[in-house]
Order: sequence, then C-alpha cells, then structure tokens
Amino acid sequence: MSQQPEKDKNFVPSRRSFLQGGLTAAGGAAVAAIGGGAALAAGTPDPAITELKDWNQYSGPGVDAAPYGVPSPFEAHVVRRDVPWLTADPISSINFTPLHELDGIITPNGLCFERHHSGVAEVDPAEHRLMINGLVDKPLVFTMQDLMRFPRENRVYFLECAANSGMEWRGAQLNGCQFTHGMLHNVMYTGVRLRTLLEEAGVKPSGKWILAEGADASGMGRSIPIEKALDDCLVAFKMNGEALRPEQGYPVRLCVPGWEGNMWVKWLRRIEVGDKPWQLREETSKYTDLMPDGRARRFTWAMDVKSVITNPSPQAPITHGRGHTIITGVAWSGHGKIKRVDVSIDGGRNWQHARIDGPSLSRSLHRFYYEFNWDGSPLYLQSRAIDEHGYVQPTKNALRAARGDNSIYHNNGIQTWYLKSNGEAENVEVS
Amino acid sequence: MSKFLKFTASIVLLGAAWATNASAQDADAGEKVFRKCAACHAVGDGAKNKVGPELNEIFGRVAGSHEDFKYSNAMVKAGEEGLVWDHDSLTQYLAKPRDFVKGTRMAFAGLKKDDEIANVIAYLATFSANAEQAAAEPAPAAAEGGETKPTETAEAPATNAADAVIPEHGVYHLGREALPEEVAAWDIDVRPDGVGLPVGSGTVADGGVLYDENCAVCHGVFGEGEGRWPVLAGGYDTLTADRPVKTIGSYWPFASTIFDYVHRAMPFGNARSLDADQTYAITAYLLYLNDIVTDEDFELSNETFSEVSLPNEENFYPDDRLEEANFATNVEPCMENCGDGPAEIVMRARILDVTPDGDDESGAGGID
Repeated sequence: MSQQPEKDKNFVPSRRSFLQGGLTAAGGAAVAAIGGGAALAAGTPDPAITELKDWNQYSGPGVDAAPYGVPSPFEAHVVRRDVPWLTADPISSINFTPLHELDGIITPNGLCFERHHSGVAEVDPAEHRLMINGLVDKPLVFTMQDLMRFPRENRVYFLECAANSGMEWRGAQLNGCQFTHGMLHNVMYTGVRLRTLLEEAGVKPSGKWILAEGADASGMGRSIPIEKALDDCLVAFKMNGEALRPEQGYPVRLCVPGWEGNMWVKWLRRIEVGDKPWQLREETSKYTDLMPDGRARRFTWAMDVKSVITNPSPQAPITHGRGHTIITGVAWSGHGKIKRVDVSIDGGRNWQHARIDGPSLSRSLHRFYYEFNWDGSPLYLQSRAIDEHGYVQPTKNALRAARGDNSIYHNNGIQTWYLKSNGEAENVEVS
Repeated sequence: MSKFLKFTASIVLLGAAWATNASAQDADAGEKVFRKCAACHAVGDGAKNKVGPELNEIFGRVAGSHEDFKYSNAMVKAGEEGLVWDHDSLTQYLAKPRDFVKGTRMAFAGLKKDDEIANVIAYLATFSANAEQAAAEPAPAAAEGGETKPTETAEAPATNAADAVIPEHGVYHLGREALPEEVAAWDIDVRPDGVGLPVGSGTVADGGVLYDENCAVCHGVFGEGEGRWPVLAGGYDTLTADRPVKTIGSYWPFASTIFDYVHRAMPFGNARSLDADQTYAITAYLLYLNDIVTDEDFELSNETFSEVSLPNEENFYPDDRLEEANFATNVEPCMENCGDGPAEIVMRARILDVTPDGDDESGAGGID
C-alpha cells in the first residue's frame, strides 16, 4: 500500500546510533557499500581480488530482463524521504531529493522531490486538454498532440520550493542536506515556449497577467505577470528525455525558470489571460513572507542565490580518515548563472574558491568541488555562492536581521556542517 | 427491533444482484474510486486511523468497534444494534452514509454510481480475510478492459492526411477555438474585484450546517484546525507574536480567495462537489467564524460580496527584497580573517533523527 520505502535508519544518522556505535551504524554501512578494504591489515591480500566472485564466473541476466531499467539493488538507499510531522497528511505533503547521493547537475527523474496539494493526479494524456482563455483574440484548446507540433526547446532549469530550508529559520533543526535543502531538483525539460502558445491565441493589449491552473483535485493556480510569461516560461512535456513522471505533472507542466516551485503548475490544463492578479490561496495565505512588523511581502517569486555542501554532510560522513578528500556541493540562482562558489572549512573566517565543473547554465544547478588534505581535525564547513549579477549568498543571521524568524520562505542562508574528527557531520550554526 | 434487521429481508435479493453483476466488480477500478476516501481512510500495510478509521479487515467488523478510533455516538449505537460491515451494509452505507447511519461523522456525501460502490467494496475486500472470495476476484472482462497494454507502434489514422482541416487562427494554426461552454466549465476563478463570481447566495446559518458536515472534521468546529490541518479562524493580533497564527481573519487579504478555493478544491478529497449557493454559504460562515460578519442571517451573494473586506488587506506589499543590505551587488565578500575570533558553535540541530519514532521529536515549522 505505502509507496514509502522502508525507513533505513542506517542512512539517517541519529544521535543515538552515533553515541552507541561510533561510526559502525552509519559509517560502517557506507564502508560496506562503497569503501572496500579499510578493515584489512596491511599486507593482507584483498579477498575482493583473490576470491572468485559469482559475477566473475556465471552469466548474468540477458537483455530485456528489465525492459525499463532500474538502479542497482546496492543503491536501494538512494530514495526520496519525507518528514511525516511536517504536514497533516501525505496526500498534501512534500518529500526531499537525496542531494547527498547525487553528483553532476542533473537530478534523476525518480529522485526529484514531490510536492502535491491533493495527491498525484493520474491523467490520461488522450483526455488531457490545455485551454487558453481570457483576454485573447481567440480562446483555444490544445490536445497533447497539438502541443507537440509547436517548435520545441530543451532547457535545464532548477526547481526549488520556496519553503526549502524553511524549517531552519529559527536555527539548525534537521540533520541532513536531504532535509535542509532537498526541496530542489534540476532537470532538462523539453517543451514549447509559453510565449508561442499565447501568440497562437493572440494576447490583447490589456492582458497583463496570466493564471496558470492545474488539472489535479487542488485546482492549483498561480498568477504570473505577462512579462515573465512571454519571456522564458516553458510548457514542458518531457524531463531528462522521457515523459514527465506522474508526480511531476504528467502529461504537461509549466516551467517558470528561477521562480519558486509552487508556480510551476503541474498537470497544466488552463492559461487565462487577465488584467489583474487573481490573489488565489497559494499567493495570499501561502507563499507570502511575514515580516517582523506584522506586514507581509507578496509576489516574492525569484529564488535567490544559494548553495549547499552535499558531501560530507550528516547523511554522508567521511569514512576514510585523514588525507586527500573532496568537498562537493551545488549552487544555484534564480537570477542567472553562478559566477563563483567559495568554501570555508573554519566557519567563515577564511574562504577559498571552489572549482565549478560541468555545464554552467542560467537558472540551473552548478556543481562545485573543493579538494584538500584533511588533517583529521574538526572543521566547520560552509559554502557561499555568488551569481553573475554579483548577488552574494547571505548568512542566516543577515537574513534574520532583515526578516525575523517567521517569513518561512526564501531562506537562502549559508549552511554550516560541523565535521567531527571521526568523520561524521552535524547541522550547526556558528558565531 | 433494530432498524438494521429490516435489511436482512433484502439480502437475498441483493446477493443475487451481486452475483449477476460480478463482472462489474473490479478491485483495480475500486482502487481508483478509493482515492475519494483516501483523504480520511487508510487501508493496506501499516494503515492507521486518520480522520476516519483504517479499513483493513473491515468485512465482519462491528460498526463503530475499531479500538483507538473515536466514532460518532450514532455509529457506536449502530454497532450495538447489530450493524456489521459486509457487502450489503457497505453497499447501502456508501450510497448515502448519512441516511444509513443518521448522525455519522463521515462527511462524505456518498458514491453516486452503483459500479463505483461495487468496485470500491471489491477493492476493500482484498484487504479483508473475511470477504467472500467472489468479491475479491476481478472478473476477467473487467480486468482486460481496465488495463493499458503496451503497444509497439501507434495506429495510423484512418483518414487521409490531405483531408485534415487547417484552422485559420494564429501562426501555426494549431488547436481549435474553445467553445463558450468549455470555457465556462473550467473558468471558475474569482478575483478580489468580484470578477468571476457566479450568480448565487447563501446565508451564515446555511453555511454552518454545510461546514459541520463537510469541513469541521479537518478544520475543527470553530475553525481551530484538527491536528496539522489548517486553522481557519482566530489568531487575531498574533502576526508580530513569536508564533503567528495565520487565519482568514488574522492574515488573508481577500474574501474572494475563500470562495475561489472552497469552490475549486474543497472539501479535501471531494473537490468541485459544492455548488455556487453552498460555496457562498460556507464562505459566509467562515466570515462569521472570523467575526467579519456577525449576523447569522447575513446572506452572501454575488450582489453583496463587495460589501465584505478582510482586516489584513492593507498589510501586504510588493516584494522589496532587493532593498535589503544583503542584496548589495559588486561588494567583494571578505576572504581572509573574517569575523571576530575563531568560529564557535552557537546552535546544534534540534532534531538529529528526522524520521521520529513518536511525537516527542516533532519539530517546528509545518507545511500546508
């Protein structure tokens, strides 16, 4: 019944497991999975080499054993996870991308975090329609086949929930970058520019806003200014080359690059053009940012420059001891490309430039690495991203000074992991 | 004599109908129907009581008897009078719950289609050892019809490509004009200026009855919210408090949002089931719960809607993040010897194990 994978606490380190067994619970499992011969005494031949393994000797399954391939069973711990107490019910809830298990910039489709307001709509594409109505010359209806006849684009964009890191406003709370930063994914979309569809219907000069609406039972709706709609919004039907996953809006979703994930309406069925915003539930009672004076910001769309170290992190301790090691993480900005990422190992006192590797695309994740020789002493690890406009990722205290503790959304503050001498990491805040 | 005994006479008849309709009972189809129930009920491995009781082994269960679940008095009484859940009693209950057990707390209005009832019961039967075998087995015809078989190639259309009619609109001449009835079917959004409001009306008093039936189970009798379901009323003067309570009365800027959201998305798990009059009534009642209107006879309608405003409307302002000091650009950040002295830990993660075993480790900051 439950789609939830078995909770494997070995990969969600707890204070108890560390206290009881040192690294045997979390680190030991990691060693068994990826490490190899750490436990061997010097000079002892490695049985991984000297012993004949089944896979050395016997043939494996033939082609078509898995017509749609799945990850190795040894990767079974690489799954989305939720935090049950965050929400009233899993039908209107969220889970988190396992950032600490990924590399490069692309998030695999099955690991992209989910956020639903009335569960996953199961939509038959043959019965799906996209309507454009309102202040247009001619209201139109498109079938999926119609949509796929418009000129297509391929673009890589991050999607971040505005509430990502929202549980950390009052201070360090959740132990793992999956939970502190995992309302985030980065996907190559194939789709049609929203502009192309709007031009097919003909937007009237009085049309200043659009309403994007989903076909799910929450009827998800958000108002978007026409300038953004005519700029880079994409009506997407493929992710990473294949059809959208049902939980990501199959058969068609809206991409609103650089802006908060709630606006990326899934199961997109209608675009209305109007002269004013609609002020629906998700842009009034939610996704508005309460300030210390009791007033609230609205229409806080853009996701600001941000980064996080994904390894090491509480779910991904260092198991190899001192010596050459790699710090890696992701950086992104809703305003454009990432220009630079700095890494500090002493809690922000001194910074070094990290190395960005892989594609550098606007409004997409960037992968950074910082290699160094760890002497085994405790460290306070931080990363700080700077985007092409010169916006610098702020400290959490700078954000709190400007916004207080209750604005929930848009927490892009610098994250600190306390790396202990035994290699485990903990979510902390430092002076 | 129990009121439920009168149904025994019809059991033979219903049983016969069950047998002849066997081909329509499809547990797979029932799984889809069960989505209407899943907001409140769980079934299957690890199912727990939610707003409603979990439904494993429902067949043979005495009504109102699941330990750990707080039923309405009516449901407990029905069980005491002999109501046991089986194909027949479930069939009648799911058709019109409040008629079958008057006073049940189950807000669901009932399943309108007989095949939906049969299918969802067939689905539930797969989680009950006591269910008759016949009900648990989907009929072959239904199973074949319900599955999407992978195909290797798409079928070519029967018509000649040259016969396709090309519309005149737009650049690519794709899609077709939306009919007025189609636009009307989907365009139900309502704006603060009243654009989009349908013709209709409802009073606070009418809304109270509808609210108790449809909304109170999650949002609480007074809008106080059950569990982590949204609080709808109260919270006045808390927006500058340490723990603000954001409700319709304390936070929401526009009353139109209530109407729009209730009409499009509520009740949770049975969206679009309230008509315009019912939505006006519930909206009026929510305004009443928030002391925005105080007269139980107040009637909200497309005519009176503009008379209503919410107290916090003026306290929203456009995004001005870029004016914050931390958005200053072209400032080279400190690279060496930043801050005062070595960094020290001032706070540690409050929750080290985020998959808690119990409520004691629940943290702050819910999402809804």
